[in-house]
Amino acid sequence: MAALEVLESDLPSAVTLLKNLQEQVMAITAQVQSLTQKVQAGAYPTEKGLSFLEVKDQLLLMYLMDLTHLILDKASGGSLQGHDGVLRLVEIRTVLEKLRPLDQKLKYQIDKLVKTAVTGSLSENDPLRFKPHPSNMMSKLSSEDEEEDEVEDGQSEASGKKSVKGVSKKYVPPRLVPVHYDETEAEREKKRLERAKRRALSSSVIRELKEQYSDAPEEIRDARHPHVTRQSQEDQHRINYEESMMVRLSVSKREKGRRKRADVMSSQLHSLTHFSDISALTGGTSHLDEDQNPIKKRKKIPKKGRKKKGFRRRR
Amino acid sequence: MSNPLLRRKQFALEILHPNISTIPKKEVKARLAKMYKLNNTNTIVLFGFKVLFGGGRTKGFGLIYNNVEAVKKFEKKYRLIREGLITKTTKPGRRATKELKNRRKKVRGTAKTKVSGGKKK
Repeated sequence: MAALEVLESDLPSAVTLLKNLQEQVMAITAQVQSLTQKVQAGAYPTEKGLSFLEVKDQLLLMYLMDLTHLILDKASGGSLQGHDGVLRLVEIRTVLEKLRPLDQKLKYQIDKLVKTAVTGSLSENDPLRFKPHPSNMMSKLSSEDEEEDEVEDGQSEASGKKSVKGVSKKYVPPRLVPVHYDETEAEREKKRLERAKRRALSSSVIRELKEQYSDAPEEIRDARHPHVTRQSQEDQHRINYEESMMVRLSVSKREKGRRKRADVMSSQLHSLTHFSDISALTGGTSHLDEDQNPIKKRKKIPKKGRKKKGFRRRR
Repeated sequence: MSNPLLRRKQFALEILHPNISTIPKKEVKARLAKMYKLNNTNTIVLFGFKVLFGGGRTKGFGLIYNNVEAVKKFEKKYRLIREGLITKTTKPGRRATKELKNRRKKVRGTAKTKVSGGKKK
């Protein structure tokens, strides 16, 4: 009796549900038919698309087909026990699950592609725009280059590149353009001051002050040599060359003099009491030590036959 | 380092000799022959020895050829003369060659070879 009551109360809702079902089925059939027509007409070409997405499409379709087959069987009263469709469904389901992390990884790329397709161009800040284009390195000299005019204070005009004949690319050396020398006395002074300032900033005095007042931890570097000079670097370079080429290089008089001077400088206790010149930062005038740069007095003795070796002076 | 193209082994050499003066090349060659198990030292060529500042250390270069023919073929003439494998051929001086050439200019044909040098009074 209770079962009959349940059935009676369920009956109207069941009827409405069935009616809904019918309507929905009709709507879905109409949609599916229009879709199939479109696909058969070729409105959705997928040749140039991502094959991954195509695989997913096919798998989902197969899943749907199997599902509908199962529904059909069940609706017509058959049982799903040991149905082949169930196994197929399970297989497709597992494959789809395995594909999901790949989907995650490709999400960014797909989004970008879709955005490009929709908007038609990449956005301004797109980092893809800055990727290297090796095709840009090929010279486009087959097309004529227009002459570049560089007129600066009456200086002669720059020469444009001559167009290359055909495919054979003959090497044309670049014609370097002489640039007008415009530096006034004031600019030269400024440059000198700049350089002195830079040198002063990296001197030991300033460095120690920086270490004292900065919060950064003190760095102790195992340096090659605390008193590495240009001369010692050049010597090292010479030694390396000699040993790798297995030759002995001759030392000119000038080199010998330089080496001697460097030795004398380093053997004295000069660096203990003489600090580098930081007047560029303090604003005072630079005072050069007399013993650092002694002003040489050159004796003017005109020698016989000196004119021949005019430009090969030996200091 | 072996250099099979020139059939030799080439190396840079550093000798430590505290409290004594530079070791003569003959001794160094004898030592090298013992080290490389060679019978005689005529395939060893040493050059470029320089004493480093402070004394006690000398740096130089050495070459060990596979055989004496390789030495004679590939080594520079002045080094062969130093080793003693070749004697120095003194060519007639610059002035003498020029005079011979000028005397040859006066004669034509095969007589050129007959022109001899030297002043003939």
